[in-house]
Amino acid sequence: MKGTIALCLAFLAYPFVFSNAFYLDIGVALLLAAISASAWNIVGGYAGQVSVGHCMFFGVGAYLPLLVYQHWQLPPIVGVPVGIAISLVLAVLVGLPTFRLSGHYFSMATIAVAELIRLVVSTWDFAGAAIGLQGPAVGRGWYDLTFRGELPYYFIFLGVLVIVLAVTWQVQRTRFGYYLRAIKAGERAARSLGVPVRRTKLYALMLSAAFTSVAGSLYAIKTGFIDPDSGFGILVSVQMVIIAALGGAGTLYGPLVGALILIPLQTATNTWFGGGGTGLTYILYGGIIVIIARFEPGGLHEMWQRIAPKLWKRHAA
Amino acid sequence: MLLLQVIVGGLLLGAIYALFSSGLTLIWGMMNFINFAHGEFVMLGMYVALLVVVWLGGGPATFGFAAAVALFVLGVLVYGSLIRHVTRGPMLAQILSTFGLALLLRYTAFWIFSANIVSLPQTSLGGTLNILGILVPVAQLVAGITAAVLTVAMHLFLTGTTIGSKLLAVAEDRNAAMLMGIRPDRMQALAWGLAAASAGIAGALMAISYPWSPSVGETFGLMAFVVVTFGGFGSVPGAMYAGLIIGLIQALSAFYFGPIYKDIVVYGLFVALLWFRPQGLLGKA
Amino acid sequence: MVKQVNRRTVLAGAGAAATSLATGASSVRAADPVKVGVLFPLTGNAAAAGQASKAAVEIAAEIVNDAHPELVGIPLAKDAGIPGLGGAKLELVFIDHQGNPSVAQQQALRLINQDKVNVLLGAYQSSCTLTATPVAERNGIPFVVGDSAAGNITQRGFKWLFRVTPIASDFAAAYMTFFADMNKAGHKVASVAVVNENTDYGTSVGDAVEAAAKKAGLTVSNRIPYSASTTDVSAQVLQLKDKNPDVVIFISYTADAILYMKTMKNLDYMPAMVLGDDSGFSDPSFIPAIQDIAQGVMNRSAWDIGKPGSTTSKINDMYKGKTGRDLDDTSGRNMQAMLTLADALNRAGSVDPAKIQAALIATDLKPEQLMMGYRGVKFDETGQNILASTYLIQLKGKDYKVVWPDANATEKLVWPMKGWKA
Repeated sequence: MKGTIALCLAFLAYPFVFSNAFYLDIGVALLLAAISASAWNIVGGYAGQVSVGHCMFFGVGAYLPLLVYQHWQLPPIVGVPVGIAISLVLAVLVGLPTFRLSGHYFSMATIAVAELIRLVVSTWDFAGAAIGLQGPAVGRGWYDLTFRGELPYYFIFLGVLVIVLAVTWQVQRTRFGYYLRAIKAGERAARSLGVPVRRTKLYALMLSAAFTSVAGSLYAIKTGFIDPDSGFGILVSVQMVIIAALGGAGTLYGPLVGALILIPLQTATNTWFGGGGTGLTYILYGGIIVIIARFEPGGLHEMWQRIAPKLWKRHAA
Repeated sequence: MLLLQVIVGGLLLGAIYALFSSGLTLIWGMMNFINFAHGEFVMLGMYVALLVVVWLGGGPATFGFAAAVALFVLGVLVYGSLIRHVTRGPMLAQILSTFGLALLLRYTAFWIFSANIVSLPQTSLGGTLNILGILVPVAQLVAGITAAVLTVAMHLFLTGTTIGSKLLAVAEDRNAAMLMGIRPDRMQALAWGLAAASAGIAGALMAISYPWSPSVGETFGLMAFVVVTFGGFGSVPGAMYAGLIIGLIQALSAFYFGPIYKDIVVYGLFVALLWFRPQGLLGKA
Repeated sequence: MVKQVNRRTVLAGAGAAATSLATGASSVRAADPVKVGVLFPLTGNAAAAGQASKAAVEIAAEIVNDAHPELVGIPLAKDAGIPGLGGAKLELVFIDHQGNPSVAQQQALRLINQDKVNVLLGAYQSSCTLTATPVAERNGIPFVVGDSAAGNITQRGFKWLFRVTPIASDFAAAYMTFFADMNKAGHKVASVAVVNENTDYGTSVGDAVEAAAKKAGLTVSNRIPYSASTTDVSAQVLQLKDKNPDVVIFISYTADAILYMKTMKNLDYMPAMVLGDDSGFSDPSFIPAIQDIAQGVMNRSAWDIGKPGSTTSKINDMYKGKTGRDLDDTSGRNMQAMLTLADALNRAGSVDPAKIQAALIATDLKPEQLMMGYRGVKFDETGQNILASTYLIQLKGKDYKVVWPDANATEKLVWPMKGWKA
């Protein structure tokens, strides 16, 4: 509890300590990554269904606000609930057949569906095809959510993250959360204990899809642009998986921890070495991921839980 | 005639898909392990071919062999230093490790060779055969046939030799194999070596007719996933058929519907297959 | 540092005309450098083009910063530094946006807020230019676009955006004029095929060319969009062979352009002419890969190395000394953008953004002041250069030669192309 309060205070204080627009933007990127990874975590972490195609929900969420703007000149925010609705339908369509598959088959199926959607969108003129869609370059009013500075985005994103984490926390404590953990531990055993396995998995995917869709919408509204690769690219999915896995999948704060490490790391390596153009950014980035996977396969959250008590003891002694 | 021409082209490409996918299916089926860096192995095979041609000269036999050896060593090294330690961890750690590895390999190649597109200097396999009115480029014919032969050889090795059956024994039941006196670690290292080597040769064969840069692995990696799932995890004959079928589907749909639809058709069929026969063509349920 | 600047200025002044004495006097005090933030994709799929453009922009800065009296005509080449700013030098801050639109946006913020750059230049992919330019617009920092071709970049009413390069509709118009000239010369061009890679570049140029061809009364026999990462193009070549158009226009990146040429040879297909739309056909990797099989292939370019001893040839030598390769059109357009910017900075006489903006608006460069083959540089109210134009070049042996328009041609056009039968 103490930790949670400290974390909240730190996030509230950040924009005032680092008021420079660039640092604020890193904060916004970090919050966005934490939102999408936390959303993925509900089905990928707690239920152990490793989806590598979550970009399909992110992309739907990202496209809708700019579609309604492009075709009907509506404020982009109108597209957010539409995106959520479509993502929910998509989750049911994808979940029903693929939940029969286990382990890698499920991962592969999600990759394939996401890739199929990316390819279709790339040829679909209504959705801007390969060129993509733009948002309003200059906001027509506050309702366009096109702000000059980064500060409003920071607090909007922070608010959404708090909601996602609060819902996840609630899920954790209820019977539903218990079902999810039981499924992760072993589907057959869970079924014999009377857990409605398929329905539980489907609900988890739908919840996860809705939040991921919101993350996509936030991305598109803030960036003011979306194209097939930044919406439905496999890297979008992989990033969610990596951030959650790095911090600790299936834990409340794991994805946030992952984002706190990975986003500053990405930005810092690109800022320091990107201009040199040698690819050193990615060598470091890839290397660090490999090292963490090799030595801390359970993620940093697990390492923290192992180390923290020792530190505490030493401190007390 | 035109149709036949399209079919031949598709099958020749499909044979190469089959070769590099057979490596992926081997470790996937054997260790239940997803390797996101498989496409990078193909890419490295291409650069090994280039280095051999530029420094030592020699034809496809030389650089194909060199690529196989170099990648075999790399595969074993990767297994020993990284995979061995994550293989029994959570599935997420596997994804993390091989995705990190893919970035590491791709951008190390980028650092060494730069981002520029390269292609092999013209080799002896330049011409085109005219077989009953069907034009078959020699390079692609040689590559396709070699790939098909090697894929069959891989299958025969696994089913017909002692080492091969030990490998499959580890895949079937690790603990039982250990009781039989087989050392699973060695067998798995061998599997990684073979997997990387098959990707390496496939890369060297592709390099004859296809220009590339360090980012080429992404395309091949994704294609290998599709082929392997299509054919069924762990089934080398499955990968063989799936590779040929996908090569054919791509060629036919590119011809009839246009090239941007060829991957849509492949992924569409793939999703449909997962729906109706999730274990793949030749996979065990 | 101060001493060094002095000596260079004095040397330049001694060697050159008396006019430089005045500037020499004013530049005794070492001025603060002008910071230019440069956004390119230095990693990712477009890294090769980004890296080449980075080297070209560095050469442009070198031309401005050091005395290069041998580069006749190029503004600011003669003396060291920017005379109008008291001999200030250009200081380039490069960033890698990785071809990712949101990284481009974030790094533009960084360049403005963190590095406090005075002006921005970039960003290769149109998608990244579309997301980075609003940041400059909101912060009131001039953004010079070197080579992003998407039409809508200049259609958003931005006041701080200046695009030096010609755009898709300009290319399409040039092709149609060329085809009309060919028909007059007795080379039949009645049907064309448009083959384009399917990202923003290929799609926007492909659409423009198809529309222009239909308007000009030509038959568009095939319109083939494809993915540039494709490993096999034989089906498309067979489609072309089936319809047999007079000219095939390729809007392609490098690997796919090479693959098409090789596959056409393998499948024994050669139209009367292949016309490449810059990009892949201009990549230095293209010629060595296909020179034996695609002799006479044509390409769009505003860059011509020119005769030995010419200004452009000297610039090419500088570039080759740095990279080991000839300058290509894409990089050249970015170099021209940087030189255009330097000229504006000189006239602005200040690094105040509004003054730079005003100077950019007033830009009026003549063809002889350019290294690229534009008819000049002059921006309309949207920030688009209205004097941008292009040559058509043809592969002869190991080099491209300018063959069209006649006024600029250095060699005669060979029609039809010879391909592998040379």
